[in-house]
This record gives sequence, C-alpha cells and structure tokens, in this order.
Amino acid sequence: MDSVISWLATAGMAGRAWLNHTTPDKYTRQTLELSHDSLLEIGNGLFKSLPAGVDSASLDSALTRSREHVALMARLVDQKDSPDFRTLLDSLSADETLVKQLADSIEAKEQ
Amino acid sequence: MKKILQLTLGIVTSVGGFLEIGSVTTAAQAGARFGYQLLWAILLGTLCLIFLIEMSGRLAAVSKHTIVDAMRERFGFPFFFFVLIGMVIVAFLVLVAELGGISFALQILTGIRFPWWALPVSLLVWLLMWKGTFSLIENGASLLGLVTISFVVAAFKLGPDWSSVGSSLIPSLPDSDKANYGFLAVSILGASISPYLMYFYSSGAIEDKWDRSYITMNRIIAGFGMTFGGFLSMAVLVAAALALRPKGLQVDTFPQAALLMTTALPRWGFYLFALSMLFACFGAALEISLAIAYFFAQGFGWSWSEDLEPSQDARFAFVYTIIILLAAVPLMLRVDPIKVTMLSMALTSASLPLAIVPFLFLMNDPIYLGKHRNGWISNAVVAIVILISFVLAIISIPLQIIGG
Repeated sequence: MDSVISWLATAGMAGRAWLNHTTPDKYTRQTLELSHDSLLEIGNGLFKSLPAGVDSASLDSALTRSREHVALMARLVDQKDSPDFRTLLDSLSADETLVKQLADSIEAKEQ
Repeated sequence: MKKILQLTLGIVTSVGGFLEIGSVTTAAQAGARFGYQLLWAILLGTLCLIFLIEMSGRLAAVSKHTIVDAMRERFGFPFFFFVLIGMVIVAFLVLVAELGGISFALQILTGIRFPWWALPVSLLVWLLMWKGTFSLIENGASLLGLVTISFVVAAFKLGPDWSSVGSSLIPSLPDSDKANYGFLAVSILGASISPYLMYFYSSGAIEDKWDRSYITMNRIIAGFGMTFGGFLSMAVLVAAALALRPKGLQVDTFPQAALLMTTALPRWGFYLFALSMLFACFGAALEISLAIAYFFAQGFGWSWSEDLEPSQDARFAFVYTIIILLAAVPLMLRVDPIKVTMLSMALTSASLPLAIVPFLFLMNDPIYLGKHRNGWISNAVVAIVILISFVLAIISIPLQIIGG
C-alpha cells in the first residue's frame, strides 16, 4: 500500500507543479505515465496479499479510478488543457485520501 | 598568497564536488521514508571521510606516494591485485550510476529517454578526460557543482524543527521496516565513504606536487570541505523529510526525486535539481574514471598523469577510454540507474575493509610517514566506522534481497 500511496502522491505533485508552470510538459507526461504503469503493476499483486475483512471492492474501484485519472491527466498535458487537468487533479486528491484511509484500515487489521 | 588561493579553491571544490548520485539518492530515500531518523548515518560517514581524506593527502605530501603506490610496495603485488579487482568492480558500478545520473538529468530536462543519452554523455566525459588537464577536472566540474547549495536553501525554506534534527544525530531504530532502515544506513555510509575519493585525492596531491608544507592546508581542506559537503547531504535528507514524506512519496525512481525541491522553491526547484544532478554526477564521473585509471597505472607501474598527452601515457588513457565506454553499455540496455546506485553504495560499504584496513596499516608505518603517522584518535574513528558499516552491510544486504 505504501507504494500505491507513493505513486498517487507522485502524480499529484507532478500535476500541481505542471499547473504552476514549473515543470516541462514532457517530464510531466512521462512521470504521469510512469505513475499509471506503476499503479497498474502494484495493483495486480496487491489483492493477493490483502488481509481478510478488508473492503477490497472499494480499494479496487479507488485504484482503477485513480489510474484512469492519471492516464487522462497525461493526455491533457499534451493538449495543454489546464481546466480539465485541474478537475482531474482534485479527483485524484480525493482518491488519494480514500486510499490512505483504506491503507490505515489494512494496517490496523494486520496488527 | 598562492597557498591561500589554493586553500580557498580546495574547500570550494570539495563542497561543490561532494554530492553525487549516491549521496543524493540515499539521502532523499532516507528522508522520504524515515524522516530525519537517518541523519546520524550521514554524520558518521562524513566524520570518517574527513579523517580518510586528510590521511590520503598526508600520505602523499609526506611520503610522495599515492595510496596505490604505497599499497603495492608495502603489501606486494598479489595482495594489491586482490584489492584492485574488488575496488575496480565497485568503482565501475558507481561510474555506471553517475553516468545514469547525468543521463536522467538530461531526460527530465529534454524528455528524451536516458538510454539515448548514455553514449553521448560517455563520449563527452571521455573527451574531457582526453583533452582536459587535472586542474580542469578537479576544479571545473566542482565549481559548477556549487549549484547543489540550492538543497541547503530548500531545506531552510521548509523550516525544519531543529531540535528533531539535532536529536536524529544520535542513532535510533524505527518501529517498523528495520531491514530497509539498515540497508539505507549502509547505503548512506557507502555513499559518504567512497574509496575512489581517497585514490583520487592522493593522486591529485601528487599531480599538484604537494610536499610537507601542505600538511596544514590538507587538514583544513579535508576538515572544512568535507564538513560543508556533509551539510549538503543532510540538507537533501531534510528537504525530502519535509517535502516528500508527509505526502507518502518514496523515492524509487529518478523522476520522483526530481520533485524534491518543487515545494520549497516552486519556480526554480525542478530546474535546480536537474542542474545539480547534471553537474554533480558529471564531476563524479570524471573523478571515478580518473581514479580507476590511476589505480591500474600506479598498480602496474605505468606512466600516468592527467596533465600528460595521451600519447605519453597511452596505457593510462586506454584504461579510462575502455572503462567509460563499457559503463555506457548497461545504461543503453535500460538498466535502472537508481537500482545500480543503491547496489553500488551497499557494495561499497561491504568492501570498505578491503580498501581501508591496508590503508590504516600504511598510515601507521613510520617508513612512509615518520613522525606524521596516525594518532590513536584517527585510527579509532576510522576503524569503528568501518566496522559498523561492514557489520550493517553483511546483515542488511541479504535481508534487503530476501525482502525484495
């Protein structure tokens, strides 16, 4: 779960920096694509190791949604579409909060 | 006047040349994952490096021998050859990592993927080695490396809690993730106490024709230069602890590390990070390539000097040519430079006894150093840090491998 949170944070930070015009387009797009691919890879192995009683459906839907948001953000960088990008970034922040809550509940169950 | 200028330049270049991909990556990973808790490892590594660099310069100034010369002479060729193999393998991996750092810095600036940069970057490093002089390599890249001071600005701007920073200088264990913590401690020590720096420094002292009159200057350069350099590493860790850790961002890849200064310095942070890595890794790549060539040439008794024309020390020039070109190959094959960095730093720690123990024997030998041989404090500090580093390495490297 730490890796999932880390990649969501990466996408969020890279996105905010791009909105502030402080990072190049290509770096932002590549970093968002890398975040998407890493989330996909981690997500594939994550559900095999979840403890019993975890709301895996919520986690799965949050992860899928955030991956889609990150992929769309990467495309919007090329189109230089800031308003839609900002909306997606806000949604990604909400996903991030949800994933953190689920991570806390997983940690509590493991203890 | 000439010595004051040399002293100033020595300190400035030590600061500018201190950071490289190993110290930045390990400190950023440590800060992002464990907050300030691993600051003690940087302190310990820097302290040990101050002593080792001072010893390297003193050996050269008093005995007119580089470390390699003296080691071969004192312990014989078979033992030297054993050390050579170990040191060259580790230094080669570090060189791959540094070339990777330059290539990645260019990737984040241009968008062109790092494998495409590997060969042009290697050729540029080689060209500077081929055409450049020792002072160009020693001073040029290190002066450009002063851009790394931006890490200190970033750390201060983030407003660290100084009492927590201070208390982290005393070692402590985390509540969880102890294997990773140990591995990072080992990697930080490996990044700080790089033996190639000693070989480079002692060879440089011979290139610059140091004699006994340089002993005080050597002490000041080693003390101030390495101390300020250590502050730079600590600044990277503090900046990562304050900018990345609260968000849960871990530094597993280079593009993630590039976000390190965007919180503290929103407008220029990204570009300052890229330029810092570009210049710091470039300087380190030049120094490592030279250190490997020195190692071979001094060990085998060939003529050597970066100030000679390549035709006058052909075998010396041949070694760095081959090494630099070979180091580009793993990068062209898309080997991840961050993984190579972490592996090479941990291996550096594990191999420290091989490089340092014979060196300590040399530094206590009255034939080489007369009344300037080591006192018990320098022996004790270096021996204890090397022991800690070695023990941590043999425990944490297997644990890290098992834990994936």
